[in-house]
Amino acid sequence: MPTYTDMTRCDGCGECVDICPSDIMHIDPVTRRSYNIEPNFCWECYACVKACPQQAIEVRGYADFAPLGHKVRVIREEKKGLVFWKVMFRDGRVKEFSFPIRTTPWGSIKSPSDYEAPDPSELNSPMLSHEPAALKVAKLPTLPPAN
Amino acid sequence: MFSSNPFADLTGFLPPLVMQAYIVLMIFAVPIGTLLETYHKGSAKFFAQRRKKAAAAAQRRLSGMETASLAARTIAEAAVSGEFCKWKRRTSHLLMMYGFLLHVITTIVMVFAYPEAARTPIILPALWDIGALMILVGGLWFFFFLRVNVVYDGDSPFHVGRADLFVGSLIGTAAFALIWHWVQTAGNPTASLILFGVYIFFTTLLFGSVFWSKFAHMFYKPVVAFQRRVEEANGSSDLPNTAHSHTVRSF
Repeated sequence: MPTYTDMTRCDGCGECVDICPSDIMHIDPVTRRSYNIEPNFCWECYACVKACPQQAIEVRGYADFAPLGHKVRVIREEKKGLVFWKVMFRDGRVKEFSFPIRTTPWGSIKSPSDYEAPDPSELNSPMLSHEPAALKVAKLPTLPPAN
Repeated sequence: MFSSNPFADLTGFLPPLVMQAYIVLMIFAVPIGTLLETYHKGSAKFFAQRRKKAAAAAQRRLSGMETASLAARTIAEAAVSGEFCKWKRRTSHLLMMYGFLLHVITTIVMVFAYPEAARTPIILPALWDIGALMILVGGLWFFFFLRVNVVYDGDSPFHVGRADLFVGSLIGTAAFALIWHWVQTAGNPTASLILFGVYIFFTTLLFGSVFWSKFAHMFYKPVVAFQRRVEEANGSSDLPNTAHSHTVRSF
């Protein structure tokens, strides 16, 4: 189910290029609009679909197993902290629902670059960056030492 | 300094009729290029299919008044480049759009209404230069700092591709319009003639390359934006309705 950019809606802002975890959303050299350079590597994570401020990106199935007219469309509302979904089935049924996508206001989370650079010796630690402080716990459980 | 009509000084070797014929030719090149591009890409066919589909899925019929209101709102949005979500791109686009309009309109007025230097109101060449300057500021800002392939896709700021044909020829036209006018005002006829030739080259490239460039976006973008508003209003839009949320947030 690869992503597909509607060229008439895309304004070439680059948000999808920035967010794609698979790095397959790129800019077309002729139209300067986004496009999926490697559809079979798409994870269907919907990150670009939700990030697109113009709602120009759709995810659609290959015609052999998901033919004819189904659709999943998304709008992300930053101010409300919600994502709205509209699912259109092939038999004409339509389902709409919304999900909260944040528990904190938009823009309130510190960017990784706002943290101090970690000590290189921490590379040998099993902890991830800024753990355990970032998880708001004093200590994380560890495995007992092997005999 | 820039108060003289740059085209009036050309009448010594270029009759006004030739300049007027060139402008008419360039004006005709735009719709011809747009139509050819629309036919070649099949975008008109795609758009007509989408419109037909939307009309069939419409939940209610819009009145003439509603349609007119949607058209007015689309024009108002296009006039302030409201479709852009980032202020830098929007500002750069506004500079280029209004600079281009100012430059083109004053060119037409000066060539058709004031072919003689003595009669040209000072405001016209001044606006012609201001228009070119606006294009240059907006265009260079966009070209080096805002192009999406440069900012997000890792291309060099000096990278030039087919997508740059429109903005490149627009920047070239504006830059050489200003340089030519400056050299002409300084009184160097040979350099002025050469620079006029370069200015005409970029102008011809701008209007003659509509089929290959992104020039036609200024026509189809508002049409698509209007169709999107119509689809939202008549209920045929495939996007979720954000007014239907029952989720209550705590912040």
